[in-house]
Amino acid sequence: MKIDTMHELNVQDVSNKQKVGKIIVTTLLYVFLIFMAIIVLFPFYWMINSSLKSIGEYLLPVPTFWPHRILFVNYIDAFKTANLGRLFLNTVYVGVVSTLLSLVITILSAFAFARLEFKGKNVLFACLLATMMIPGELFTITNYGTVNDLGWMNTYTVLIVPFLVSIFYIYLLRQNFKQIPNELYLAAKVDGTSDLKYLIKVMIPLALPTLISITILKMMGAWNSYIWPRLVARDIDHTLITVGLRNAFTIDPAIGYVNYPQQMAAVVIVSAPLFLVFIFLRKYIMKGVSRSGIKG
Amino acid sequence: MKKFLSTILAVLMLLTTAIGFAACTPGPGPNPGPSAEPNFDVPAEGYDGSEVTIKFYHTMGSNLTDVLNRYIPLFNELYPNITIVHEQVGGYDDVRDQISTEITEGTQPNIAYCYPDHVAMYNLAGVVTTLDNLIDSEIVVTRADDTTEVLGLTAAQKADFIEGYYNEGKQFGDNLMYTMPFSKSTEVLYYNKTFFDANGLTVPTTWDEMEALCAAIKLLDPTSIPLGYDSEANWFITMCEQYGSGYTSATGDHFIFDNDTNKAFVKEIREWYQAGYLTTQEIYGAYTSTLFVSTEGTKSYMSIGSSAGATHQRPAQDTNGNYPFEVGIAPIPQLNPDDPKAISQGPSVCIFQKENPQEVVASWLFVKFLTTSVEFQAEFSMASGYVPVLKSVADNAIYKAFVDAANGGSHISALSAKVCLEQQESYYVSPAFNGSSTARDQVGLLLQTCLTTVLSGGQTVDDLIDSAFQDAVDECEYSAG
Amino acid sequence: MYDTKRQWKAWLYLLPMLVLLAVFTIWPIINTVRMSMLEKYQALAAAGGKTFEVSFYNFKDVLSYNKFLTCLKNTMILCVVTVPVSSILALLIAVFLNSIRPLKRVLQTIFFLPYVTNSIAIGMVFAAMFNIVGSFHGTPNQIIETAGIINNMLGVFGIEPINWINPGSTYGANITVLVIYIVWNALPFKILILLGGLQGINKQYYDAAKVDGTPRKRIFTRITVPLLSPMIAYVVITGFIGGFKEYTSIVGIFGEDMGPAGASKRLNTMVGFIYDALENGRQGRASAAALILFAIILVVTLINLYVSKKRVHY
Repeated sequence: MKIDTMHELNVQDVSNKQKVGKIIVTTLLYVFLIFMAIIVLFPFYWMINSSLKSIGEYLLPVPTFWPHRILFVNYIDAFKTANLGRLFLNTVYVGVVSTLLSLVITILSAFAFARLEFKGKNVLFACLLATMMIPGELFTITNYGTVNDLGWMNTYTVLIVPFLVSIFYIYLLRQNFKQIPNELYLAAKVDGTSDLKYLIKVMIPLALPTLISITILKMMGAWNSYIWPRLVARDIDHTLITVGLRNAFTIDPAIGYVNYPQQMAAVVIVSAPLFLVFIFLRKYIMKGVSRSGIKG
Repeated sequence: MKKFLSTILAVLMLLTTAIGFAACTPGPGPNPGPSAEPNFDVPAEGYDGSEVTIKFYHTMGSNLTDVLNRYIPLFNELYPNITIVHEQVGGYDDVRDQISTEITEGTQPNIAYCYPDHVAMYNLAGVVTTLDNLIDSEIVVTRADDTTEVLGLTAAQKADFIEGYYNEGKQFGDNLMYTMPFSKSTEVLYYNKTFFDANGLTVPTTWDEMEALCAAIKLLDPTSIPLGYDSEANWFITMCEQYGSGYTSATGDHFIFDNDTNKAFVKEIREWYQAGYLTTQEIYGAYTSTLFVSTEGTKSYMSIGSSAGATHQRPAQDTNGNYPFEVGIAPIPQLNPDDPKAISQGPSVCIFQKENPQEVVASWLFVKFLTTSVEFQAEFSMASGYVPVLKSVADNAIYKAFVDAANGGSHISALSAKVCLEQQESYYVSPAFNGSSTARDQVGLLLQTCLTTVLSGGQTVDDLIDSAFQDAVDECEYSAG
Repeated sequence: MYDTKRQWKAWLYLLPMLVLLAVFTIWPIINTVRMSMLEKYQALAAAGGKTFEVSFYNFKDVLSYNKFLTCLKNTMILCVVTVPVSSILALLIAVFLNSIRPLKRVLQTIFFLPYVTNSIAIGMVFAAMFNIVGSFHGTPNQIIETAGIINNMLGVFGIEPINWINPGSTYGANITVLVIYIVWNALPFKILILLGGLQGINKQYYDAAKVDGTPRKRIFTRITVPLLSPMIAYVVITGFIGGFKEYTSIVGIFGEDMGPAGASKRLNTMVGFIYDALENGRQGRASAAALILFAIILVVTLINLYVSKKRVHY
């Protein structure tokens, strides 16, 4: 595979010979990309394919690439077996509350760093950025003890409060706020508009795309979080979806094996909301991610 | 780039400061720890009738809490000021985790279901009440119905406990009593009686017979897994006990399981596994009972598991309400049938230290009420499939009727209880100390490793076994260190 | 210079953030260092009033423990293999995507899909694809119900079923599955960043090169890669940092035992080690291990920065 062909298409005057070469190269290029795309898509296809099979068909020595008989009932059973309804509810609740609170905190802090003047601002901001270097596990050890001392084990609080502050989001929003021309702020000052009013009326609407990105990333975080919830919230009333999913499927006594199709159906159900969000809000997600470097 | 480096510098400075803080931290106070002296002095008045609330953590399902809830009012007729609040925390590990976190904030319950290694762990914080002074107390307590009872245990009450169970409370190396037995179980061999009868197979009593039987079943059904042994750790520990070869010791060098006898039986079990005779819970990926009861696909004809799980070893009824096959229950195979050994499992209860000694005394009264009541023990055993801890339960009319109705279908719990009661002299317990649960985990893992590892690069079975044993011992010592 | 009232107001805005930060970030940093320096520190024993000597014992203890070295080795292997593989693949895909027009948006969306997945959930899908359903793996009496889709596809090329993740599987097979999964998982983010970088490159460079008749290979090595180098450095550095924190992808495939039955913890990583110590109530060991992990990440990042400083063109 040649890699020096990317600007082939821009070349204006091409001889016939070059034209043939170009077509071959472009074809190869598409072959490579489509091959890679198939590899990327294959697990998704296999997950859906498996989720629609009967266990008998799943266990056939030579797997079938499309179910002989499509069994949507796996989805209903999976929903019941893994208690997904409860897990969904828990996760959505934690996600929504923590996103809202986190946004308030992030907006206030980013505003202070972007627009207000106070002693030690830059030093403080540098220190905050520094904490981003530290692996999260280091915090977890003590936070585990702290939430325990606070009596927060197996509550929603423990899933929400410790992660409300994200320096990265503050950083992202501060950059965005700084791009808003200072003149607007000064004009507002002259008019006697309070800081808070200015923040709500002017800055938040202008920074809306960034705020949407933050919201989506934070919600995705709740959806995907595993380590912390597993440590501190193990009762069914507070189990989040990822933790519940991992532990829901053991061997089914009726068949003597894990009910794989059901398990795959549960995975589809858990993955679906993320895909829906992705389809509708693709732009914001990709924008948010391209500035981040962290998942969730 | 400059910003990034200055950031890193700031982190380093932050850490330096933190180290400074650490050095300044004042050391905590003296350490009482577990001592060789009883740690609880009974107040002179015994229970003074004051209002206390007792929190009890357990793992009982709803069928068992029903029994418990029937007996709490009876207790409250005697002691109306003692309020009992009980909670099912989850499984045994959940109880342990919950309590060990609560200990650090001082909010542990008053009474808890426990296994010996849990108690060894709680003892790190010195919070488990020794029961010796309570058991020996001769203080007379007046109850609400104007009757009286001695706070401690009478000679008759003590004698009624099955001795082996009672002594489990003292296995913590200092000869003090930390726990009371609550309900007990052991491992038994479940077998597909229908299949055995149809093929003229006999139930094995020794491991040699078991090996021959597995080979015979393999001939009858080549794609079957004749035997499922649920707990790898129990198997290893029970084999140590049957051979008398040493597993752990409460004092001195704790981890004595790394010896040639043990290596030899592990090697033998590996051969059985390699021949396709057996599987275990972790290797199979689920309780082996699920394999035993399955009527389609791969079949299994024997399953060694907890006597308390009998109902899980029974296949599902068909549409006519019939069981696809009858289950038989027998004691597990032995090395020497004249000196049988079977593990003693099942929860005990321990009482936690509290600032108010009345809470401790009240907890004791409740524990005593449950563990010495023949009626409660009988009812609880019938509902749970566990065996009672009192000898006289066997003479209880209702319990007798229950055991007499035993069969391998609708009354499988009774059948399992019957088998347990018939082998009461076989029960053993292993010592509990800080690290005993690691040893248990490690020997279980060791067995899995030795069974499943595919030899490679000139490695012999003995190399594999040697290194697996060495690993397990290292791990135990690291964990205890 | 500063207006006192306005200063006071600024701190008010920061207050919620600072309070939470103090409790859940600053205190943990201090406390982790403290616990790591207290010999054999255990919170449970501390609650019982036990005192601990101040020493570096925990660090020595962790570093001299062979299972820790296993964790370190696994983490390193995963980093060293997955970061270059995923970075090069991502670079190729990004460059190719940037040079096509039809299907570009569709392909771009497809390549981003793995990003919006739950790593535990999709880990279970990968496990199912590689799983052999059966018993007695690797013994003469092996029973196979189905060898799984991957083994069946390899079978088309005449390859015997490989035991990837079941009991008795080899370390190499386990790592291969992990590498495939982690690379698959890491691609979308890298492609996105690199594609963004490519779109930011000024077309004039290429036009100038065309006028000079520069061969395409040279355009790639002399224009594209240098101009893209900050983005490449970024994906490599974040890749390494992420690689050192690898944990959930292993749980996704192998479960919390971090290995096949009979070889549990064989694939454990640094992060897994920290959580094990924490769950065993060994806060001193966990703290020391967390600080060691931090130090390693710091050193690797510094090396990365040093290298990229020499190589990256801004």
